[in-house]
Amino acid sequence: MNAKITLPIAGVVVALIALYSCTYTVGQWQIAIITQFGKIVGEPILKPGLHFKIPMVQDVRYFDRRILSWDGEPSLIPTQGKYILVDTTARWRISDPRKFIETVQNEGRAERRITSILEGKTKNIITRYPLVDTVRNTNAIIEKVKKRETQKSDEDAEMVTGEIDEVTVGREQLQGMITTSARPEINELGIELIDVLIRRVAYEPSVEKKVFSRMISERNRIAEKIRSVGKGEKAKIQGKLNLDLKTIESRAYRTAKKLRGDAEGQATKIYADALNQAPEFYEFTKTLEAYKKTMPEKGRFLLSTDSRFFQLLKEGGRL
Amino acid sequence: MQNGNGGDEFDAVVHNIKDAFNKFKARQGGRGGGGGGRGGSDGEGENPIKGILTIILVALLAISAWKAAYKVEPDEEGVVTRFGAFNKITSPGLHFLIPWVDEVYKIQSKRLQEQEFGYRKATRIRTKGTLTDESQMLTGDLNLADVEWMVQYRISDPQKYLFNARDVIKNIRDVSMSTMRRVVGDQLVGEVLTSGRARIASEVKDLMQQTLDEYDLGLTIALVELQSVDPPDSVKPAFNDVTAAKQEQEQDINNAEKEYNRIIPRAKGRADEQIANAKAYAIDIVNRAKGDAEYFSTIAAAYKKAPKITRRRLYLDAMEEIFSGVDSFTVVDDEVRGLLPVFGQSAGLLKPAATSKQ
Repeated sequence: MNAKITLPIAGVVVALIALYSCTYTVGQWQIAIITQFGKIVGEPILKPGLHFKIPMVQDVRYFDRRILSWDGEPSLIPTQGKYILVDTTARWRISDPRKFIETVQNEGRAERRITSILEGKTKNIITRYPLVDTVRNTNAIIEKVKKRETQKSDEDAEMVTGEIDEVTVGREQLQGMITTSARPEINELGIELIDVLIRRVAYEPSVEKKVFSRMISERNRIAEKIRSVGKGEKAKIQGKLNLDLKTIESRAYRTAKKLRGDAEGQATKIYADALNQAPEFYEFTKTLEAYKKTMPEKGRFLLSTDSRFFQLLKEGGRL
Repeated sequence: MQNGNGGDEFDAVVHNIKDAFNKFKARQGGRGGGGGGRGGSDGEGENPIKGILTIILVALLAISAWKAAYKVEPDEEGVVTRFGAFNKITSPGLHFLIPWVDEVYKIQSKRLQEQEFGYRKATRIRTKGTLTDESQMLTGDLNLADVEWMVQYRISDPQKYLFNARDVIKNIRDVSMSTMRRVVGDQLVGEVLTSGRARIASEVKDLMQQTLDEYDLGLTIALVELQSVDPPDSVKPAFNDVTAAKQEQEQDINNAEKEYNRIIPRAKGRADEQIANAKAYAIDIVNRAKGDAEYFSTIAAAYKKAPKITRRRLYLDAMEEIFSGVDSFTVVDDEVRGLLPVFGQSAGLLKPAATSKQ
């Protein structure tokens, strides 16, 4: 009675286990490799979905087919005199699972191999060039500075500080050089190196301190220049003030003088013209007027009869 | 349409569960009822196994049913895989899948996501030093600047987002940090700190998009925004001093210009006044001269007609006027001698005359 129920159930369970053990799924993000007693059988399975295998005999090993990241430790690299901290990162992908299994077996070991290859390459390449090549990409900045200098505006001049040397290869190309030089070796591991990026470049602390003090001294220089320009402008304006003031005042003086002179000349001429019509009459009337003006209204008079004034008195009858 | 079908499916599943449960309950009840009367080994053996199996079956069904239905939120998309292989993308709403075979990954593709660099909004870490590794960078003139920025992105292709890279966020961060440094590395420190911010942000956005497109991660960068750009802390006072110097410069110039403006227009007015006065004087004396001349000409013309008598008249008129007010006067003829004693006698009288004339 028991067996009647137990047997079919056991049958179903066994069937399920059998079915389960001879199928496997490959995820969209996976590559599968079938090994038979540890030996790789057939091509890596790239097609995602349900697959079949021989149960008990064949094993499935999975690999990630997605882009994986590698993170470098920031390392101190000398670049022609200056030590800089360079932090790189890379993207890689398992491209040949067979090779991958043969050389590094798993991701952890792959990463260690990548680290040793990339760190060496990075150091080798970056150290060959001056610091600017790791920082800048182009020489556009030099053009910019030149343009600024030709314009020679005081305000812009303050913006150009620090060290601006010519770039021979530039950051992007350095990254490219690291990538291409590391690629063959990494390819040997069944890994495709997608790219290497310089994530961060920093000064080593003692250099950083020097850079800071340089920046401070530059700012001080700039500040002083600005102040001095201000003082200069002030003096310039004051000078202009003086010049303008004197110009205005002297011009006005000159114009006024000329106007007065012209008028006086004109008046003199008018007088002369008029008086010339009868000079002796003018003299006569003017003399009389002068008498009137000079004689005191009150007082004592003492005159000689010789004077023309009293000629009449003396020779009255002869008039 | 899909939802409707799904509903039927769901109903069917629910019905199955109910059915199974009812059967189970009925059996339990039956056993409970006749348990005392029966003592046979048959019943004892059959019933517990049956019960356990049913429980397992029901549990399996329940889990399956629970697994079969899923909800996609309005800001999400569901990526469904069948046996691990990509199957379809489902839109927001209730959906069903084949339990144990299908798998759903919900991706917030309709929402803008954000990554922060050099600062963290949530924890409010604004203290420098902890995140300077992220924010501090070299500028093209080998100076240093602290740049804090934010990247907003959207998952434009959930399938690619899900299957093309293991750690997408890390890739975004790495690319953003590298790109920002690349762009800032090509600028002068002055530009980074002042005028270049918007340009840097848009350049970073474009370059990031380009790089991420090469990885084919199904991402769209919506925005790159520079939050704050500062000189490093220890250099800040010096930078501030430059700003102060600019203010001082402005102030110096303004003061000088103020002085200029105070004096020059006034001087101009004065000059105009001076010139106008001169003009007034000129007009005045010319007109007077003309008047005098006309006056004289007229008289002279009349005089010419009778010069002798006019002369005499004028002379006498003048004399009359002159001598009318005189207290006393002495006329000395040159034939008279010894005048001085006369004078000396009345020396006292001479004084007031002299003073009055003054």
